[in-house]
Amino acid sequence: GLPLTVRSKLLLTNTVNMNPASEKTVTASFGKFISDITPQHLSPVVLHRSKRMVLDSIGVGLIGSTTDVFELALQHCKLMYAADHISSVYGRRATKLSPTLAAFVNGVATHSMDFDDTWHPCTHPSGTVLPAVLSLMDMMPAHSKPTGLDFLLAFNVGIEIQGRLMRFSNEANNIPKRFHPPTVVGTIGSAAACARLLSLNPSQCSHALAIAASLAGAPMANAATQCKPLHIGNASRFGLEAALLASQGLEASPLVLDAVMGVAGFDAFYEDYVPQPLELSQNDGHVFLLEEQEMGFKRFPAHLGMHWVADAATSVHKLLVEHGSGNISPAEIKDILLSVPKSKYINRPFPDSEHEARHSFQFNACTALLDGEVTVQSFTPAAMRRPDLLSLLSRVRLQHPQDNPASFNLMYGEIQVTLAGGDVVKRRCDTFYGHWRNPLTNESLRKKFRSNAGVVLSSEGVERLIDVVENVDRIGDIGALLSQLQ
Amino acid sequence: MFPLNKQKEKKQYDITPQHLSPVVLHRSKRMVLDSIGVGLIGSTTDVFELALQHCKLMYAADHISSVYGRRATKLSPTLAAFVNGVATHSMDFDDTWHPCTHPSGTVLPAVLSLMDMMPAHSKPTGLDFLLAFNVGIEIQGRLMRFSNEANNIPKRFHPPTVVGTIGSAAACARLLSLNPSQCSHALAIAASLAGAPMANAATQCKPLHIGNASRFGLEAALLASQGLEASPLVLDAVMGVAGFDAFYEDYVPQPLELSQNDGHVFLLEEQEMGFKRFPAHLGMHWVADAATSVHKLLVEHGSGNISPAEIKDILLSVPKSKYINRPFPDSEHEARHSFQFNACTALLDGEVTVQSFTPAAMRRPDLLSLLSRVRLQHPQDNPASFNLMYGEIQVTLAGGDVVKRRCDTFYGHWRNPLTNESLRKKFRSNAGVVLSSEGVERLIDVVENVDRIGDIGAPACVYKRSITCLKYNYFLQF
Repeated sequence: GLPLTVRSKLLLTNTVNMNPASEKTVTASFGKFISDITPQHLSPVVLHRSKRMVLDSIGVGLIGSTTDVFELALQHCKLMYAADHISSVYGRRATKLSPTLAAFVNGVATHSMDFDDTWHPCTHPSGTVLPAVLSLMDMMPAHSKPTGLDFLLAFNVGIEIQGRLMRFSNEANNIPKRFHPPTVVGTIGSAAACARLLSLNPSQCSHALAIAASLAGAPMANAATQCKPLHIGNASRFGLEAALLASQGLEASPLVLDAVMGVAGFDAFYEDYVPQPLELSQNDGHVFLLEEQEMGFKRFPAHLGMHWVADAATSVHKLLVEHGSGNISPAEIKDILLSVPKSKYINRPFPDSEHEARHSFQFNACTALLDGEVTVQSFTPAAMRRPDLLSLLSRVRLQHPQDNPASFNLMYGEIQVTLAGGDVVKRRCDTFYGHWRNPLTNESLRKKFRSNAGVVLSSEGVERLIDVVENVDRIGDIGALLSQLQ
Repeated sequence: MFPLNKQKEKKQYDITPQHLSPVVLHRSKRMVLDSIGVGLIGSTTDVFELALQHCKLMYAADHISSVYGRRATKLSPTLAAFVNGVATHSMDFDDTWHPCTHPSGTVLPAVLSLMDMMPAHSKPTGLDFLLAFNVGIEIQGRLMRFSNEANNIPKRFHPPTVVGTIGSAAACARLLSLNPSQCSHALAIAASLAGAPMANAATQCKPLHIGNASRFGLEAALLASQGLEASPLVLDAVMGVAGFDAFYEDYVPQPLELSQNDGHVFLLEEQEMGFKRFPAHLGMHWVADAATSVHKLLVEHGSGNISPAEIKDILLSVPKSKYINRPFPDSEHEARHSFQFNACTALLDGEVTVQSFTPAAMRRPDLLSLLSRVRLQHPQDNPASFNLMYGEIQVTLAGGDVVKRRCDTFYGHWRNPLTNESLRKKFRSNAGVVLSSEGVERLIDVVENVDRIGDIGAPACVYKRSITCLKYNYFLQF
């Protein structure tokens, strides 16, 4: 392909835009926001929280690089495209790909085990943004890489735009039924982050979002399949692609985020949609949503909804172990009743694959009941086949109380275990540890990171990465981070 | 009862060239010819150039699949499908079907790219190619019949990005001879790559919709061939977990079965294809034909030219559809999606052509004058459906006379199909912008006889550019 320097020159040339969007539209306001925001708008809280997200996202991406689906995605890219030594790939030192393809495979890695962060309203925000931003920075010439603050700003723009868009729809507050949220807001967020990093002008930023809208939207049916990680990979890839096309002058709808009767734009993805302009106050600065709404991080690699029943079941496990033989035997369990929200795609009595198991109330509750915890290892074929576990699974019933809505902000998980002797034990979890209402401590987050990254990197490499991310806002050249990722 | 995916997958796996009737062969060859022609002229547009430069810039050189109109250029297969799809829709000149989509542009580029990728010694036959192409069209038609919404001018998702992506995946799965399960997964993977909102129609981004549908369908089939699995229920309607029905308000799927004894009647046998005579949204063709009648009348009885001074008022009766109602289009893309622009152009010039959308033509004071005198009305009996709508123009002349003409079915509509003569005339005009006239005639000949080609890549040629050379990628690079 073209040499990197030539590519970068072509990218950094901002062409004069022929059709500037009217300043009064929601779409134009988003474009202006992305173009005008500066690192000075990042508060200490936002810096701290987003650095935690970056660390966690890199960690799950690194362990994700050991999965079959990642390998499939990577082989596909190597097979179907010519070698292009530009952007790094998680966990593969010698491997680089064309920028959008690296964003793709790294996004796949990030979501491959359903281990990545979850926000409210509901999406996995980091996995669609970070891979795209890292790929883009890899593409930039060595002598003019962004600073650490530029990087963090772009990352936070990508997160902020997702949060703002989700607030335009009530539907976004509930467990999704139609479109997988990362493929809707995540694609736009990726485009926004890349547009910010490319320093596109307001009109180009708007067009980046609009182009991204035509690349957004994957149906929920592919969740809990091997295809789901590709949703995040594609959101990342397509957002980057949209920003690049906008930088090259492609134009799309100037009203994509506005709600125009009879011609659907971004509202095509929602039943209800009421957009608001996004404004950057000159005097008061800007309060990022991340300041108001913490991020949720998972302690084990499964759909967020699993974490409530897992914590509840772990309490029961501890109780039974204290009072019993030290092990849980299925013979002592007569019945297991789970009270959970009604959500078809995470109700799987006998999951057939690891992907299904990560999306099964029943599986995660029984695993936590049996083992006292759910871990990365709980989803291996051997663990999934255990007779004790299968025994417990056959004794699970689900109920959906009215007061348990399908919302990550409002739901609870309750387990009621009837023992062989007749005793009944009930435990309930309202807020699992790692939820945004009960965030992981820095200690816990690093422990998770060490466990994940350590599968792929040396322990020195792991510690260096922790250190670099912790101090990334003080880095003058992001190359210092990029060089630690492989 | 098998899940629907399984039905469709089995159908793809089991269908053979013997299922192609003479009517279907004939009609699909017309589509292939027209699609190549619009792709070739499309390769001269700015948006095609932008898409091509993007691919060259962002990916390493990969000399695999041909690009319309660029002899020395080849790209990675999905990228070639992308740019060729962009070319095909770049001028809104490509075919339109009922229910509403542009079927060929999402399928043909993907199939051509895939065939370029296959080893020289085992290229498909011409019939294999036509079968794959027809599978891609058939699947689109079958899917659209699952929703009433599909019968009307679209409001939410641009149909080629919905059914076209699945159709491309189906065609490529067929060409790759994937097994039933892989075919099913190809469709499911494609569903996650489908669906672009209508807001980007009538913008420079719209041609990318077709380019992406083609590219993503091919990508989905390739991922399926490499073992990726997705939802086994993507085409079924499962409460609470949307699959393909995410793209529709109403959706009632039916199994697709291949009868062992009776063969299979392709939808193309029952429902002809519409081809455009000029490069604009289909809805423009009714008012253009009506306005052309008025032009002829006025010219016969007048000075031989239309002068805006003689026109006091123009009233168009058209269906209600916001994205093709543009009183003063700012760009060629908008002009192709403007009742007003196309009616006035036809009134002024007696026709709408490729040249009508150049900046110079769009800026003409006479045309702008006429545009300022146009009003639209949306009668109740004029629904937003390409199967039912009409276009009527009522011109009030300066002297007070009123002339009214109505078009119920424009020439080129599936109810009044282009003759083979007209189709070739369109092809010659399009392809001739890029190819030599000998090259144009060779291509017409090869496509006409493609079902008889034993090996679509066989170099049975003496000269590189000889008429006897059957290496199909020369279609694109004469």
